[in-house]
Amino acid sequence: MAGVGMTSLERFAAYGRGDAIDRLPCVPIVGNGAARVIGAKISHFRGNGRLIAEAQTAAYRRFGYDVIRVFTDLYTLAEAMGAGVHYPEDETAYLSVPAIPSVENISRLQPVTPERDGNLPSHLEAMQRVIAEVGSEVPVTGAVTCPFTTASFLIGAENLARLILKNPAAVHQLCEVALESAIRYAAAIMATGCTPSLTDPMSSSTVIGPRQFREFSLPYLKRLITFIHDQGRSVTLHICGKTDKIWHDMVDAGAGCLSIDNDASLAGAVATVGGRVRLMGNIHPSEIMLQGAPADVRRAVFNCISQAGTSPKGYIVASGCSLPTETPAANIQAMMDAVREIGWPLKPEVLSGGIL
Amino acid sequence: MSVLTPEALFEELSNAVVEMDEERVITGSEAALAADIDAYDAIQQGLSHGMERAGQLFEDEEYFIPELLMCSDAMYAGLEVLKPHLKRTTESRGTVVIGVIEGDTHDIGKNMVRIMLESGGFKVIDLGRDVTPQRFVDTARESKADIIALSTLMTTTMDGMGTVVRLLEEADLRGGVKVMVGGGPISTGFAKRIGADGYAVNAAEAVKVARELVGNA
Repeated sequence: MAGVGMTSLERFAAYGRGDAIDRLPCVPIVGNGAARVIGAKISHFRGNGRLIAEAQTAAYRRFGYDVIRVFTDLYTLAEAMGAGVHYPEDETAYLSVPAIPSVENISRLQPVTPERDGNLPSHLEAMQRVIAEVGSEVPVTGAVTCPFTTASFLIGAENLARLILKNPAAVHQLCEVALESAIRYAAAIMATGCTPSLTDPMSSSTVIGPRQFREFSLPYLKRLITFIHDQGRSVTLHICGKTDKIWHDMVDAGAGCLSIDNDASLAGAVATVGGRVRLMGNIHPSEIMLQGAPADVRRAVFNCISQAGTSPKGYIVASGCSLPTETPAANIQAMMDAVREIGWPLKPEVLSGGIL
Repeated sequence: MSVLTPEALFEELSNAVVEMDEERVITGSEAALAADIDAYDAIQQGLSHGMERAGQLFEDEEYFIPELLMCSDAMYAGLEVLKPHLKRTTESRGTVVIGVIEGDTHDIGKNMVRIMLESGGFKVIDLGRDVTPQRFVDTARESKADIIALSTLMTTTMDGMGTVVRLLEEADLRGGVKVMVGGGPISTGFAKRIGADGYAVNAAEAVKVARELVGNA
């Protein structure tokens, strides 16, 4: 599919200028599902940049979507700082032990050296390889877990939640060292030619309140994004779950694009921050993409575009979060097909939702 | 403290839980015992009452996970003081087997639900995280549980929830054991599709759903 008509880079550039495009950009956020495209086991991605690159490139070529995101799990930074990660044979890895048991050990934490620690070198290698392969046609991003979320993996999510009320200074110390790691990793990612893509699930208003977000997460997000901006890059920020009360903060942090989860309202985001920032989202990754039929996916694409297709700063059709590994290829295909079917410019009957 | 009426003591316990004040909960619980107040009443009308209010504040988005955790710490501190003085084994509303389904180790949401169910009068058997479907079923059988509560935060593990329902049917236990599900990627539609009996959007609602399920059982 890739190579037919505009390349993704051409499409984004034209869309950004307000010029004619063939269709809206479309990003089914394919993570470990890329393994299925080449018949690999997910655990084989561990420490294997060549295989990650091969899978991500093959998935992109198969579906022709508009952003490649090198991502396997949220724990790469925490792991590189000493957290224990369990790797099931063929499922996404998960945190088994936080890096430190309690606040007394915070001083033990050191920021990462991306070229050396954990699986960061293999992820950087994957990014280099994808850029070399298809970087001239499609944006390639590298996932960076944001400071507050990494902090939760460093000391454990419940520990961190308690520290917010019991020992705010310790939370700031943890976020500070997590930020330094994120900045170093972001620098290494940009050195490969990739753009960092930020993900911060623990900053969700499903977990912490907006005031807590502003005190403990936002300052570090701002500093991370400012660092990336200073290198001339724009950044997409994804926070899972409920986020409506912090949308303006996410934009204030400097994000150029907000990725909206299915727990939040896309139409609400358009009305609230659509004039300030590009939006992407929010097709339900499990209910629609994993379990729905292609017809459900098509309907969801129409529905999203009717809500956000004319958002002032632009809109990218996307899943609300990373797709489940076993998402049927037919549904990813249906998502791309629907966006192509709708095409550009958007017809009034699509925007009014009438076509449904 | 000793001059307080039982009602005032209950209120103090409830307030101290809501205000996340462990010390005050402990002092209040000791004062209740010193005043010869039934430990069961102090738990129900004091600690659990406070936890229910905390759950409401959580639903209203006044409280979030950090506050709810601290409230529960305070509640458990009071329980430790009061429980040894329970005169009778209290009748629970029912037994719930809870856990995070295999492949997922995010247990913060499950822990919230456990806390709310316990403070809501249920006996809870917590299997922890990364639990196989078969273990849920085996434990439910052994403990004669009324409910299996399944949580997941990861879309990758949702299929395991349907497996639990299927295994219950195969073991001919489906009649006596209700299944409730929750967690980030779960929806009412999904719950229906896998044949679950209940879905709760958050920990506070989970208690209401559980009460309805045992009420209808």
